[in-house]
Amino acid sequence: MTYRADVLIIGAGASGGVAARHLAEHGFDVVCLEQGDWPDRSSFPGTRPDWELAIRKDWAMSPNVRNRPEDYPVVHDDSDIEPLMYNAVGGSMIIYAGTWPRMLPSDLRVRTLDGVADDWPIAYRDLVPYYDAIDRQIGVSGLAGDPAYPPHDDYPLPPLPLGVAGRRVAEGHNQLGWHWWPEPNAILSAPYDGRRPCVQRGVCTSGCAEGAKASTDLTHWPKATAAGARLITGARVNRITLGSRGLATGALWLDHDGVEHHQEADVVILAANAVGTARLLLLSADDRHCPDGLANSSGLVGRRLMMHPFSVVTGWWDDQVEGWQGHFGASITTYQFYETDPDRGFVRGAKWALSPVGGPLNHILPMRAGNEVWGSDHHVLMGRTFGRGASWAIFGEDLPEESNRVELDPDRTDSHGIPAPRVSYRISDHSRRLMAFQEERATESLRASGCQETAVASMIPYSGWHLMGTARMGDDPASSVVNSRQQAHDVANLYVADASVFVTSSGVNPTCTITALALRTADLLVQRRREQKVPA
Amino acid sequence: MTAADSSTAVDVARLEELADVMLPAAHGMPSASEVRAVASFLDEVLGWRDDLRLPLIKALAALDPATFTVEALSAYLAEDEDAYTALTTVVAACYYLSPVVRDQIGYPGQVAKTYDPFAYTEWVADGLLDPVVERGPIWRKAPE
Repeated sequence: MTYRADVLIIGAGASGGVAARHLAEHGFDVVCLEQGDWPDRSSFPGTRPDWELAIRKDWAMSPNVRNRPEDYPVVHDDSDIEPLMYNAVGGSMIIYAGTWPRMLPSDLRVRTLDGVADDWPIAYRDLVPYYDAIDRQIGVSGLAGDPAYPPHDDYPLPPLPLGVAGRRVAEGHNQLGWHWWPEPNAILSAPYDGRRPCVQRGVCTSGCAEGAKASTDLTHWPKATAAGARLITGARVNRITLGSRGLATGALWLDHDGVEHHQEADVVILAANAVGTARLLLLSADDRHCPDGLANSSGLVGRRLMMHPFSVVTGWWDDQVEGWQGHFGASITTYQFYETDPDRGFVRGAKWALSPVGGPLNHILPMRAGNEVWGSDHHVLMGRTFGRGASWAIFGEDLPEESNRVELDPDRTDSHGIPAPRVSYRISDHSRRLMAFQEERATESLRASGCQETAVASMIPYSGWHLMGTARMGDDPASSVVNSRQQAHDVANLYVADASVFVTSSGVNPTCTITALALRTADLLVQRRREQKVPA
Repeated sequence: MTAADSSTAVDVARLEELADVMLPAAHGMPSASEVRAVASFLDEVLGWRDDLRLPLIKALAALDPATFTVEALSAYLAEDEDAYTALTTVVAACYYLSPVVRDQIGYPGQVAKTYDPFAYTEWVADGLLDPVVERGPIWRKAPE
């Protein structure tokens, strides 16, 4: 007998976990299909001696390098940035840094304020109650009162340590008269909700064995399943199915053995990241109803991909600061150059986050940028820099362009034979001007903080953690894919919960906003459940 | 040689010779062979990263220890990036696994630390954030 769920969620990462917990706790019968498995924290490499070797292969952020069965290849030959992700319960939160900034009011009004891109159909105040709720669910460590933000609720936990480097850069910014603030992190500074606090090991981006860094496999899925949600792992969706009334009826999925199943549902929520969601919508094209892809009457599915141009500016002091330790995450942040200043020759700006620099292999075999040095000079370099540095990680706002897009590759497939996504993406001249300005200011920052030496790794290709914008939100079905409740204009029982819906990228790490939006979407579904159209 | 199958065996002596050019004794640091980096840790490194074995063997076949220099290594990057990466990764990993080397660079590994989560109250009370707060809000108001 075919079983039909109230809600089918595709993807068990940040947005899928948040939506599943909320819906299950409000009485919905939820099924989630996840192509990865539950993460096994005992297998995380950060406590092992081979940690720096593992992050170059089995624990690489690129699915193309990891090449695990649950990964799908992402063709990026025509992209300035390589898309990065992780496929498991918890999704890319397993390997994210854990910094937890909210968007700012101006981020949602860039057309009105700066004459570029588009405004969002929602405002900052629409997000605030969901930001506050998510902070409590996640267990965010931070300090209220940052003058870069409108006032909001206190964080549930105190900020993580500044560390020696954070303190020095904070003092440097005080000398310059520049903004700084302790970075809010989705990393516990004290025990919370049955989880242990951060131990400052500095390996956050290869999985937190302590469980101090939030990911939905810890923070949401145990509560969702306790409330009745069913999570099926090893389930790779290859098509969303449509019924005769133009409503989604569920999804076809393949198990480990390649056997196809059909999961029926009244409502389908896509939560597969901005590459995976666009891929699935395109894979769900059918000649009769939607030859160009599901929910794609606007032609915008897959377009307007944004990935945040990313630069690193590193500074080295002439003494040890244990630059390999600390949360990663960030100790401090600055929004000094975030808001638009028309005198700079570009609009919008960037947020910076101060982070550790890793162990010896990361020093001498840089994965992001930099030169290797061998021979006797190798020892000079190590003696001068190892353990003495910290890096400003700089995310610049990435304005949407329709030519930056996700399509289906005609040749490459995943391990089930399903077409792989192909990403075409170019960093714009505007972004290059924006990033060059930020890199110069970050160098000034580190010099003012006492660093004897600095280096810039500009617009690093291996940096596509932030995947946004391929199914944008908007009021007009002709120029957007989903409405302000993240419901597809074309398919009334199909929702997109992930960062595909972002209208613009802001200049901040997106996971905080992804989860707030997912909670809002789920909450509005609960509130409007009697009005929801479902298949017969 | 390491490993039983000759087609996948790494010539340890040859690798040690190359490693000593890449990491010689200098500036108070030992050479790779002085700390027996390859001899002690090669099996462990290739146990973790067996995918490096074949490109490493390729690099060893291509680079002659008798004429090997740092400049030749740089040139090899353009010739065969995968083999270059395998060689540099294996040599560096072996060297920095050595307890002697770790001790000399002051690196204990990524260790767990304890801290007082409420220590921030001290630097707040000391006024570290005061200049930031005193300058007032810097966020830009936006229409709803």
